[in-house]
Amino acid sequence: MKKVSIFVALACLLVSCKSTNYVPPVTSQMATPRKGQHVDLAMLREGRTLFVHRCIECHTLPVLWRYSTEDWPDIVDNMSHRASLKPAEREAIIAYILAVRFAEH
Amino acid sequence: MKCTLRVGIFVAAILSALPSFGGARHFTFLYEANTSAPGSLELENWVTWRHATGAGRFDQVDFRHELEYGVTERFQASIYLADWFYETDPEHSGSTYSDTAIELIYNLTNPVVDPLGLSIYGELRAGDRLIELESKLISQKNFGPLILAYNATLESVWEGNDLAEREGEFSQALGASYEISPRISAGIELLHEFVFPEWHDTEKIRNFFVGPNVSYRHRNWFVTITALAQATDTQDEPDFQLRTIFGMGL
Repeated sequence: MKKVSIFVALACLLVSCKSTNYVPPVTSQMATPRKGQHVDLAMLREGRTLFVHRCIECHTLPVLWRYSTEDWPDIVDNMSHRASLKPAEREAIIAYILAVRFAEH
Repeated sequence: MKCTLRVGIFVAAILSALPSFGGARHFTFLYEANTSAPGSLELENWVTWRHATGAGRFDQVDFRHELEYGVTERFQASIYLADWFYETDPEHSGSTYSDTAIELIYNLTNPVVDPLGLSIYGELRAGDRLIELESKLISQKNFGPLILAYNATLESVWEGNDLAEREGEFSQALGASYEISPRISAGIELLHEFVFPEWHDTEKIRNFFVGPNVSYRHRNWFVTITALAQATDTQDEPDFQLRTIFGMGL
């Protein structure tokens, strides 16, 4: 009985962790111009790739709605040196995160 | 003197131009599938204390000083500058240089977006009357803040005069690490070893270790600690081992 309880608890933990999509795929809707800024799909795809490769070198990926759209650029800026991000790569990650946030609304 | 100074300035200039951190470890007896960012350089210092009681009691502290460099987005190379150890048992005590090694890791798939993150690992060690080859398959899956990792390792050792003594080992390790906050993780590691002296399995040597781990990271450094206790009863193997890895970006 105890073993079953542990197994059920672990299964619940995995399901709760997995049910959130931490890195949604890039869609054409995400490239919709906003505030006069054009974001191309290639940049968003590059941002997503970098996000899943570089950021997990130190920590797991947070759900993107945990921080506000105003906070994200500073958060990525603060960690860009540690993640060895070049300016264009940093911009691509920020663009991807903000595009996901805007697409959710 | 001038030449030494020039070399020092040259090395310092190169190091300061490098873009820093290779990444933090969540485990110490397992590897994770992701590799270091291209151009990043990191120094890792490993300290492993092994303690055995009973008739063959001993205490041994192993040290490793490793430089890890991200070559491409998926490929990293490391040099173990020196592996050495200090040991004390009822008959003697002292420190001994063990070996120097190179390690290469190639990442195949990503643990977040792919069904399973996979990497392959190769290592060559050479020391005083010692040659060792090690290959590893590293798998990992991230479930949000939870990291699950599994390593399967095959090791071949030639040592002694004329490298006549041979030993093989297969080991598998399983680990789980839960990220409590972006800086702190805690979890568990299990290590299962199958030892083949002279590549034979007549002695049926099996070792099983299990214990908790904790990891802390901040800015360009991290420290990860694992304490493992032996769940089997193999003589000549430690009853307890404590490993600490301290890494910092250069």
